[in-house]
Amino acid sequence: MKRRAYKLLVVALGLALLGGLLWLPPPGQPGGPVHEHVAARYVEGGTEAAGAPNLTTAVLLNYRGLDTFGEVTVIFAALLAALAVLGVGAAARNASGTGKPRVDARLPASPVVNFIIRLMAPFMATFAAFVMIQGDVLPGGGFQGGVVLGAMMILLSVAIGPDRVSGMVAPAPLGWLRAIAPLVFLVVAVSGLALSGAWFGLSDQPALGHALMVVLELAIGMGGAAVITGIYLSLAREVE
Amino acid sequence: MIEAFNPVVLFDLLILVLLIICVISIARTRDLVRAAILFSVYSLTLCLLWVHRGAPDVAMTEAAVGAGVTVALFLVVIARVGRRER
Repeated sequence: MKRRAYKLLVVALGLALLGGLLWLPPPGQPGGPVHEHVAARYVEGGTEAAGAPNLTTAVLLNYRGLDTFGEVTVIFAALLAALAVLGVGAAARNASGTGKPRVDARLPASPVVNFIIRLMAPFMATFAAFVMIQGDVLPGGGFQGGVVLGAMMILLSVAIGPDRVSGMVAPAPLGWLRAIAPLVFLVVAVSGLALSGAWFGLSDQPALGHALMVVLELAIGMGGAAVITGIYLSLAREVE
Repeated sequence: MIEAFNPVVLFDLLILVLLIICVISIARTRDLVRAAILFSVYSLTLCLLWVHRGAPDVAMTEAAVGAGVTVALFLVVIARVGRRER
């Protein structure tokens, strides 16, 4: 009886949503409402005004820089909170001397996997840096590059062990590295306010805009990679 | 409804059907490793849709986050909690 009621509810909701689709304007029409209003202005003059040929980056880091600042703060706060929760248990075990890499012991990687990871890691790191730095010209940016870098660190910790990966950065700079994205955004936003009277105001200077974008992308990327690697390591080093 | 025979729209419809199949399989399977890998398939298929719809930035995020890192984190957690859903 209850199951039938749930099914009925799901079908009714689905039909309502499908019905709502009929009211949407047809996709891909040049005269559609999405392409008028502000979007038309972004497409027309966005590259010159924001200094980024990739309009997605222009909107993210210049037109809507303050919104991205909020987004970055929320995302990194959530990630750091997850990391803190995971770290409490690991720290207690490390103090009692029982913290051992667990996944490493249970799933020994084959020599083929090991070799491929060692071979590909430098290329993956280069690609990640390329995606971050070229984020204002080509598709991609800090988030994407950071996640690629984090994925490379996860692969590396499968090949050479979590302990050697977590030893790459000393604990004190690691804390700052994890928080670097919101901090750099804060510095750019406030310095713009102080020097030109508007949040992120410096991004409107043609000479500075490009450099600031690269700095912001790099900060998001390095911070994201550090946090993702940290979450993976604290999960992988847990013991039962 | 003539629009449905346009090849561009047809490709989108094909991808949407694949996505629905993926989602139903994820919901039905009791094997968590299989669910995680199916989730990776789902993300890669969705990535195709983003590319086709002209959003390469979103497609890159989908491929890296959805198909890559999220599944890796899922697999580490599954290694801790056990493979079968109870």
